[in-house]
Amino acid sequence: MNDTITAKSAPQSKTRRRLVQGGLLVVYILIMVLMIFTGRRHTILIDNKDAADGSYSAINGMEVAIDKQESAEYYPGDRDRALVQGQRHTIQVTIFDGNTSIEKTFTVPLWSDMMIISVPKMAAGLEPWIEPFTMAEQIEEAQESGPPAGEMSFQSLGGPAPEGTEEAQPSP
Amino acid sequence: MSAQKKLSTMFSRYAVVIIFVIITVAAIPPSGLSVTYILQEIITRLGRNSFLVLALLLPIYAGMGLNFGMTLGAMAGQIGLIFAVNYGIANWQGLVFALLVGLPVAVLLGWICGLVMNRAKGREMVTGYILAFFINGIYQFFVMYMLGSVIPMGNKAIVLSRGYGIRNTLNLESVRQSLDNIVMLRVAGFSIPLVTFIIIALLCIFVMWFKKTKLGQDMRAVGQDMAVAESAGIPVEKTRIVAIIISTVLACAGQIIFLQNMGNLATYNAHDQTGFFAVAAILVGGASVTNASIANVFVGVMLLHAMFVVSPLAGQKLFGSAMIGEYFRQFIGYGVIALSLVLYAWRTRKAAAEARLSLRGARSGPAKGNGKPAAENGGQA
Repeated sequence: MNDTITAKSAPQSKTRRRLVQGGLLVVYILIMVLMIFTGRRHTILIDNKDAADGSYSAINGMEVAIDKQESAEYYPGDRDRALVQGQRHTIQVTIFDGNTSIEKTFTVPLWSDMMIISVPKMAAGLEPWIEPFTMAEQIEEAQESGPPAGEMSFQSLGGPAPEGTEEAQPSP
Repeated sequence: MSAQKKLSTMFSRYAVVIIFVIITVAAIPPSGLSVTYILQEIITRLGRNSFLVLALLLPIYAGMGLNFGMTLGAMAGQIGLIFAVNYGIANWQGLVFALLVGLPVAVLLGWICGLVMNRAKGREMVTGYILAFFINGIYQFFVMYMLGSVIPMGNKAIVLSRGYGIRNTLNLESVRQSLDNIVMLRVAGFSIPLVTFIIIALLCIFVMWFKKTKLGQDMRAVGQDMAVAESAGIPVEKTRIVAIIISTVLACAGQIIFLQNMGNLATYNAHDQTGFFAVAAILVGGASVTNASIANVFVGVMLLHAMFVVSPLAGQKLFGSAMIGEYFRQFIGYGVIALSLVLYAWRTRKAAAEARLSLRGARSGPAKGNGKPAAENGGQA
């Protein structure tokens, strides 16, 4: 009798044990995922510059705060950064002229390290006012547009000569 | 027992503690440091190091001596932190993530360590020490080559300029003191990292509870006599492996707590001295190779780190060079371990000789035996 009970209960307890182990593994992975979602840090660049196409212009003095962080003042041409954790955040803008306030909520994609918020674009109601920002793209764009006229070239700072300059020189 | 003999026994038992207290107290006046500053430093270092030192207790209970193999757990913790920094997970979430990544690695390494130690019974300490060197080689290979080449690393700031391998020093700014700063109590001018101390207290409670469990009792039995435990039906080898796995996992968590307090990670050598300083601390606290308690951990961490705080400045004042104090730290650390081991061996021999003498007295005649002290059979390397 006892042997029969043991023989029946052994596979049952084995199954139960496997279920508990599987459940624990799932909980383990879920905690890891939760930590990634709630703990991942992003850099938010807060920008107060004119649009290249003139569609909006920089705000003449404002105070910006992200979440419950300390607010900072921005004037035309300013750009600063804030570090945020998690994905959903709130930006509060107080414009000095007319003392108007804007509050918006935004979501940062999980694997995006850096985002840029154009506050003048946001104030003008244009979309998208928040975009991913990558340093490599910025460098590429800057190189494509070339150095502005009248500014110092790389060579004048002792850097290597830009490609093609040697060919351009007249042969003696 | 005569009073002189009692005094002699007490001195031989607490020789390391007594010597250490004398050296530390003597070094305080020349260091010129205020008592307040020293106390604050001790509080900080208690939070930073206690968890690591507590990881040594279970292997001692299981008769495996001082677990120099805890370095393996420290390496697992560091791997977890590298991944937390790589994925940009900040704050206490980063620490939990690091722990969750390091945990399976620590269990695996602890299991390997336990298996090896079971094949080197009686020489666990030296085996653990050498095993740590071996696993260190694998760790170096993993961090220097595999990370970035086989395992992709998204955060280019932590990868070497060649495209693979982790930089020599990692900035743990994203998790720096994130555990300590959850609740920082200010009491009478002292800053006390409450959450860190709560975690340490929970570990102490766990250790006390664990000693009363079936597994804990088995560990004590295995620690006292493996042959008797085996004949009593206790799975000796399995129990020893469990002790080492728990110790390695605790060392993993301890290293994460240690590094979050420090705020940076020396990728290739932060773990080198982990076992050494933890062992030195528990020995300074009055523990021995076979006997240790929670009190030994805290007394040891306080004394060792009080010495570490005052010795560079005392060296500066007394010898004109802070480097003397730094050398003094190393010298004291290794000296304490050596002295403890020598005292342990001496006490074992003395106890054996006394047992033999009392046996002779009881038989009132010359004893017949192989001439070897009985306690030597269960002695540690």
